[in-house]
Amino acid sequence: MAQVMMKDLNKKYDEVHAVKDVNLHIRDKEFVVLVGPSGCGKSTTLRMVAGLEEITAGEITIGDRVVNDLPPKDRDIAMVFQNYALYPHMTVYDNMAFGLKMRKFPKPEIAKRVGEAAEILGIQELLKRKPRQLSGGQRQRVAVGRAIVRHPQVFLFDEPLSNLDAKLRVQMRVELKRLHDRLETTAIYVTHDQVEAMTLGDRVVVMKDGWIQQVGEPLELYGKPSNRFVAGFIGSPSMNFVEITVADANGALWADTPGLRVKVPPAIAGRLGAYKGQRVTLGIRPEDLRIAAGSDSADYSFDTVIEVVEPLGSEILLDLKAGPNVIVARVEPTVRAKLHDKMRLTLHQERVHFFDNKTELAI
Amino acid sequence: MRPAGRARDIRLAYLLLAPAVLLLLTALAYPVGWEAWTSLTDLSPLKDGSTSFVGLANYRHFLADADFWRAATVTLAYAVVTSAAKLAVGVGLALLLARPFRGRALVFLAVFLPWAYPASVSVIGWYWTLNPPITTAYSVFMGHVKYAVDGALGSGSWAFVSVTLFNIWRGSSFIGVFLLAGINAIPPELFDCAILESKSAWRRFWFVTVPLLKPFLALAVFLSLTTAFADLANVWMLTAGRIVYPVIGTHAYWLAIHAGQFGPASALSLMLAPFLLAILFVVFRMFDPPERKRT
Repeated sequence: MAQVMMKDLNKKYDEVHAVKDVNLHIRDKEFVVLVGPSGCGKSTTLRMVAGLEEITAGEITIGDRVVNDLPPKDRDIAMVFQNYALYPHMTVYDNMAFGLKMRKFPKPEIAKRVGEAAEILGIQELLKRKPRQLSGGQRQRVAVGRAIVRHPQVFLFDEPLSNLDAKLRVQMRVELKRLHDRLETTAIYVTHDQVEAMTLGDRVVVMKDGWIQQVGEPLELYGKPSNRFVAGFIGSPSMNFVEITVADANGALWADTPGLRVKVPPAIAGRLGAYKGQRVTLGIRPEDLRIAAGSDSADYSFDTVIEVVEPLGSEILLDLKAGPNVIVARVEPTVRAKLHDKMRLTLHQERVHFFDNKTELAI
Repeated sequence: MRPAGRARDIRLAYLLLAPAVLLLLTALAYPVGWEAWTSLTDLSPLKDGSTSFVGLANYRHFLADADFWRAATVTLAYAVVTSAAKLAVGVGLALLLARPFRGRALVFLAVFLPWAYPASVSVIGWYWTLNPPITTAYSVFMGHVKYAVDGALGSGSWAFVSVTLFNIWRGSSFIGVFLLAGINAIPPELFDCAILESKSAWRRFWFVTVPLLKPFLALAVFLSLTTAFADLANVWMLTAGRIVYPVIGTHAYWLAIHAGQFGPASALSLMLAPFLLAILFVVFRMFDPPERKRT
């Protein structure tokens, strides 16, 4: 078990600058998820930690050793790949034993470790099979088992659940979480799926275009996104963005655009003062909108027309139009919503976000 | 399913197979059948009168003939030596080309050219390499090499060595490209995973690359052995039809086309069949081992 430090980490291919000045301190026993759209540099970062990609500039430390020049084998890491990377010519046992065999562990020790890992993962009955005789979920378990037997200081996961169907993905997610609670090995996990990131990570690192956008605990990213990208990336359905003008009227600030005029909550008004008369982006999550009741302040309410109704069972998603602006709201499944009906919404004033239009940073 | 429906399905299946079967029958079965029959006769366009059935006489003749055994030994050695060398060089080329480096496209082209060119062009290139048409210090040197080899191993040895080297040169190029396709078909994570576990490139090659490439290696060996066994073109073109060293292929050609002895020539070439079938069997067992029952 060990901490992992990345200092001013950079990766350049001929033309592409894939990873830019990444600085990250992953604590001992921590489960950190790197998340972002494809091409954001998350996998490249992970592969640099593994030693599968050379580091263009910067430094990676695992435990108290700088590993830049260490071959992958000596970094004391174990990696789980997206498409399992099981050897088709080997049995499950041999696949799990592969790393230990290559390291010339004595046979009884190998048998003991493989046995333990198989028990943890519930795959004892599969040990004599070949990978092609396994289902996707079983293969992924074997791939995880192959990593466990090595007792590494750090687990590296490269989109390990992406090839599984939705139901199995949820199940394996829970298993991985349980496994981490049990083994307490430091883990770096790469995914493009923000739900996976939120549910698995002690902390989540959001990346885009090679840059780290924000590092934080899942609810911190959700509640206090540092910029528009993170705000839109975390959360499903994603946050609504409406471009508004900051207007000054009746001694208060208003977010104003055709079809939508709401008061800027006092908590934010101070920070927004500098933007008086300028255009900024208002962000509000679908779950932070609700149908206005009589007691709700008119300052935070606005009228909409229902355009699309998506009943999901546990909730209903509504696509609404407020003037020219399209807004998604998440409402209770008991709401009777009909197409083209009018609906007055009110927003949760403590959960309104504003973003600078130029820098896209949260205000 | 009802029996009647099943019978109809089976009839339909045969019907759908019919064109392929017909093609195989005309293109393969008929010539082989004709050759097998001819090998049991004294058919010859030079002979007057009718053709008579001679039973296994042609085969018996060759089995008792020292020249046949010499040709068979040479053919076998030729096939094994060239295949082993082609495989070794081909694997090397494939591994070299599998990793990116500056100028890889040029190297790929250089590797691929000997095979991509028509054999006749490659042969002339090779012939001039070993036997330069213009007198230079190099051509004098190559002349010395020829005399030294022929002197040590007997007349015609140098020509045979040159055929062997030509086959290796041209064949490795094909096997290299073929195995490269094989390596590229293997998911890169399988190699990544091996790199995480072992520093030794040799161990990774032996424990991961070779087993994963096995189907491709088996097919490469098979193609290489069979073409070497039946090799006529390379030997013929490089030696301009002179029999400098007997191999079964040229021997059979001489017998049939020059001496007009269709019967013995057919028997001679069919005598390769058991070897080829044995190789086919072994290689296909490697290629596609019978699967154990699922547990």
